[in-house]
Amino acid sequence: MNVGAIDIPMVRLLVAKDWKLFEKQLAAYVLAGMVALAFLGNAKPWSFYVGSLLLLIVLVAAACFSISTSLLVERKEQTLGFVMSLPVSPLDFYVAKLAGNLITFGVPFVVLSAGTVAVILLTPLPDGLLVFAVLVFGHVLLAYSVSLGVAMAVESEGWNTFVMIASMVLVNPFLMGIGQIPAITDHLQTDTIVLSAPALAILAAQALLSTGIVVLTGWVHCRKKSFY
Amino acid sequence: MNFAFSVQGLTKRYPHFHLGDLDLRLPEGQIMGLVGVNGAGKTTLLRILTGLALPDRGQVEVLGLPMPGQQVAVKRDLGFASEDMRLYRSRTLRWHMDLIARIYPGWDEAYASELLRRFDLRADQAVGGFSHGQRVKALLLLNLSRRPRLLLLDEPTTGLDPVARAEVLEALAEVLRDEQRSVLFSSHNTHDIEQLADTITFLHQGRIVASEEKERFLDLWRRIVCQGDAAFEQVDWPEVAAARRSGSLVELKVRRFDDGIRERLAAGGLAVQSVHPMSLEDIFVTTVRTGGAA
Repeated sequence: MNVGAIDIPMVRLLVAKDWKLFEKQLAAYVLAGMVALAFLGNAKPWSFYVGSLLLLIVLVAAACFSISTSLLVERKEQTLGFVMSLPVSPLDFYVAKLAGNLITFGVPFVVLSAGTVAVILLTPLPDGLLVFAVLVFGHVLLAYSVSLGVAMAVESEGWNTFVMIASMVLVNPFLMGIGQIPAITDHLQTDTIVLSAPALAILAAQALLSTGIVVLTGWVHCRKKSFY
Repeated sequence: MNFAFSVQGLTKRYPHFHLGDLDLRLPEGQIMGLVGVNGAGKTTLLRILTGLALPDRGQVEVLGLPMPGQQVAVKRDLGFASEDMRLYRSRTLRWHMDLIARIYPGWDEAYASELLRRFDLRADQAVGGFSHGQRVKALLLLNLSRRPRLLLLDEPTTGLDPVARAEVLEALAEVLRDEQRSVLFSSHNTHDIEQLADTITFLHQGRIVASEEKERFLDLWRRIVCQGDAAFEQVDWPEVAAARRSGSLVELKVRRFDDGIRERLAAGGLAVQSVHPMSLEDIFVTTVRTGGAA
């Protein structure tokens, strides 16, 4: 990949195009996320359950929407040929899609994760929940990276749907898994934020894997033989 | 001579299709019609020329630059519209026009407005509500209004009603008045090709079976009706592409007609009744059926 060859103005234009296409729906996701945070902040057992469930649903939906509209629908509705007939290289397209997705998914993700942190720290919810929440957000980010990578590299709609659903549904066993680690669960109900070694290791793995997948996807994309 | 594009030894292999060892070039300022049945390889060739597909082997140069290496520079001067290319359904044509205008400095808003009127398109209408004909015209408008040096059109007239077809062909004819612009357009409709093209290339099963100037094609091919009882073997000459008997009448399709053929046929016991020019469609069908060079 010759990073110097990226046409920045063109990439910016493609990102702006995607943003314009999806801005209303993304605003709706942020709004739904705010509602979820309001439930969470209520700090009652029932509202905590409803809020955390709704928050997960919104995050997963925003991730799937971002990937499917910017990549899968573009391919399915045959607008990919139109975009690739513009003066863009495969690398420009990849960078634009990556940046576009980081914005279209990243904006709701950052707003909601920051909101979650604020809700945990500023409401009667135990502060110890923070580590657990960060790990869940880390999982969503990793699942998103996997889905994004597959969507860019694999044309099969079936495989894409499978990977998107599977990676997001895996949040359940992930929750169960980290729930079995005493170093993480011991502080859940307390006001002490403890970034234990297992939690740090999981976070590092999530970050490394997410980055690795994004880089690998770019490498694969630039070696593709067709772009229509 | 400058070439709008040239391909040498171009090969592209798919599981059930093989575009084989193509050599083809288009001089600048010319219009080439690419004729072939569905699945002949027309779309694959056009996709390779636009960088949408990469060849397995061979050299491709477009507007003097190697592809796909220089595809960004090439695509700044290249227009491409394909039958299977779509615009964003939820967005208006105006939105698309603004997008293209921001990308291409050569965008000609006055010409775009003129094409809007001529094609009877509404800029403020969402593209999702366009008919097939309107969609094709919208794609052409987006391409023509930025005045590309080379225009590649994949089946631009397929599925259009006669009025839309005439409008599209008129717009293309206008583009061709500028001698610096080149056009390659594919179709299985030989009438459209015959109307516009300077040069015609027949593509069949992934290979070029003929590529000639249009006038030369039409000058060389003749349908000859003869009468006589001579056996077909007596006219088994290289220039005879097809022969058919109906009673005492024999119809020959000849790929390189000259006056000497009349004498040779008479000597072989076949009296020439009439000689007719052939349409491009007839030439194409005959070429494809005989599977050989025209």
